[in-house]
Amino acid sequence: MAVVASHFLLPPLCLPPPSSRTASHYSVSPKRPPPIMAASSSSPSLTDPQYGGGRSRFMEFPHVSAPHRDLMVELVSAVEARLDSYLLPCTLPPDVQYYENQSGTAQATLHVRSGHDSSPEQLGMELSEPGSTLNKIDFVLGSWIHCQLPSGGALNITSLSTYLNPSTDAPNFLIELIRSSPTSLVLILDLPPRKDLALHPDYLQTFYEDTKLESRRQLLEKIPESQPYFSSSLYIRCIVSPTAIMTRIETEAGGVERMEEILQSHVGPVAMEVLGIWLDQCAFGEREVGDSEISYLEKRDRLIRSKTIEIDLGSSLPRLFGPETAGRVLEAMRGVFK
Amino acid sequence: MAVVASHFLLPPLCLPPPSSRTASHYSVSPKRPPPIMAASSSSPSLTDPQYGGGRSRFMEFPHVSAPHRDLMVELVSAVEARLDSYLLPCTLPPDVQYYENQSGTAQATLHVRSGHDSSPIDFVLGSWIHCQLPSGGALNITSLSTYLNPSTDAPNFLIELIRSSPTSLVLILDLPPRKDLALHPDYLQTFYEDTKLESRRQLLEKIPESQPYFSSSLYIRCIVSPTAIMTRIETEAGGVERMEEILQSHVGPVAMEVLGIWLDQCAFGEREVGDSEISYLEKRDRLIRSKTIEIDLGSSLPRLFGPETAGRVLEAMRGVFK
Repeated sequence: MAVVASHFLLPPLCLPPPSSRTASHYSVSPKRPPPIMAASSSSPSLTDPQYGGGRSRFMEFPHVSAPHRDLMVELVSAVEARLDSYLLPCTLPPDVQYYENQSGTAQATLHVRSGHDSSPEQLGMELSEPGSTLNKIDFVLGSWIHCQLPSGGALNITSLSTYLNPSTDAPNFLIELIRSSPTSLVLILDLPPRKDLALHPDYLQTFYEDTKLESRRQLLEKIPESQPYFSSSLYIRCIVSPTAIMTRIETEAGGVERMEEILQSHVGPVAMEVLGIWLDQCAFGEREVGDSEISYLEKRDRLIRSKTIEIDLGSSLPRLFGPETAGRVLEAMRGVFK
Repeated sequence: MAVVASHFLLPPLCLPPPSSRTASHYSVSPKRPPPIMAASSSSPSLTDPQYGGGRSRFMEFPHVSAPHRDLMVELVSAVEARLDSYLLPCTLPPDVQYYENQSGTAQATLHVRSGHDSSPIDFVLGSWIHCQLPSGGALNITSLSTYLNPSTDAPNFLIELIRSSPTSLVLILDLPPRKDLALHPDYLQTFYEDTKLESRRQLLEKIPESQPYFSSSLYIRCIVSPTAIMTRIETEAGGVERMEEILQSHVGPVAMEVLGIWLDQCAFGEREVGDSEISYLEKRDRLIRSKTIEIDLGSSLPRLFGPETAGRVLEAMRGVFK
């Protein structure tokens, strides 16, 4: 999901559907290149939703370069491997797992895996079992969007985000790579906090100082072609952490080769390190959450998610994919986010 | 108060007191230049604390260039004029309103005016620090910050100019929020979107010699707003003249505009605060202030001014911040 990239999806940057008539369901454009199956998936089988067509098409990450694709595949694989026992398969309808606009100039995938349900009864049972590990994952969401530009180039956005449930107050994880050309990258990479950091300096210490996230941010800051990126949405600026990597990298001089090198040698390793920190300290860290805190977390998590969808996709999805497709996708997302 | 500049005050950047013996009270160094009295103050009179030696020495802003001094004087004057009926005179002891280290290589002033109980102002704090550097230059930090009380939840105001040389400036200029913005998008809308603060940030961002400044303190990064101006400006190429031009033509006007927004929307805005919110605000305000002093001055003041002077000043500040 393009958490922060909504302004990249505004016209005239991206071609809107050619007319206002409603888009048909799940249209297959004759222009779509044949799918390259990711190594880890078998032939699509309708009885196996997790490794079905939806996931493999998501894991293709078509239209982006090899280092970019490799990074996304590596991140998703690491999350799924480590959290395997906590995650249910993706149960979104096929026409939400993949959708296009009518003219075939824009395509997108959505891959959401929910954590095993933690009803109060289950929570109570699990807590009473010694050595039990509570499922802390609400859901994991991956997506990509591809959109042809009037200039002849294309906009590609790939993202992966994780959402923890109120059994823990640990930060979430978020990465988004926005490519408006082969020599241009906007990178968002962060552990968004779930509490007001000004009011909780100990939380800041635990998750942002002790983890030395700042040193990773500074590594990428040192790249000469990078400069800080300020989201056009003030709200998005509010939900990221003080060590958030929000950077724009332009390699006009060094060309595509330099961008690939940066992705492979700098962005990739840092992204995997930050994900590793999230897995170790957040997904698998031990946190105690009191009853009053649970309702606070629920409220805060819910508000942030709904504002984020609204900012992110609320206007760009209908514009790119037409009101019917957009409505279907947004409805499905609200269902997950409930 | 050097809210965000504590790392500028670390050795070997600033000369520490030459020995560990306790600093004497309010020592006057023979090297100190004669004070230039600000136009608005009369001769110091002990019976008139507001316009006494303390305030005039604060308003001198010695050691910094004219545009820098003019900006600080203009900001302080605007605040004091607009909030005049709300503010009590500064009642800090003279040796907290002005203090030096024993070797005379560092001087500082502190000017605090509390607000009447019936006003929305808790207090207003201005200060400057001057510190000679081993290299022969000097570090100068000037700041002004305002603190509202829990009768309102509106943002505060903060400006800090840190000069490690005549061609170098780190500028912090912000309306720090008093609520968790992620949880209060309407508050974000009212104070940060409707006020178009982002356009002021972008004005200064366009200055070619500027680049974003990241405070070395993560906590400080957490307390500023999403439209905070945190910028470093270096004018090696254009020299001192270019820095003066930037201060006069760009920083100055933007700073006065941001202060104006604070005065109109925050100091004089109408906000309703429910009872449960009051205790939340008290708690949050108190924590932010005590963390900020700790980060800001907790280690640098003793190092620069010696433990006795630092203790006296920090004690007085905690008294104001209670």
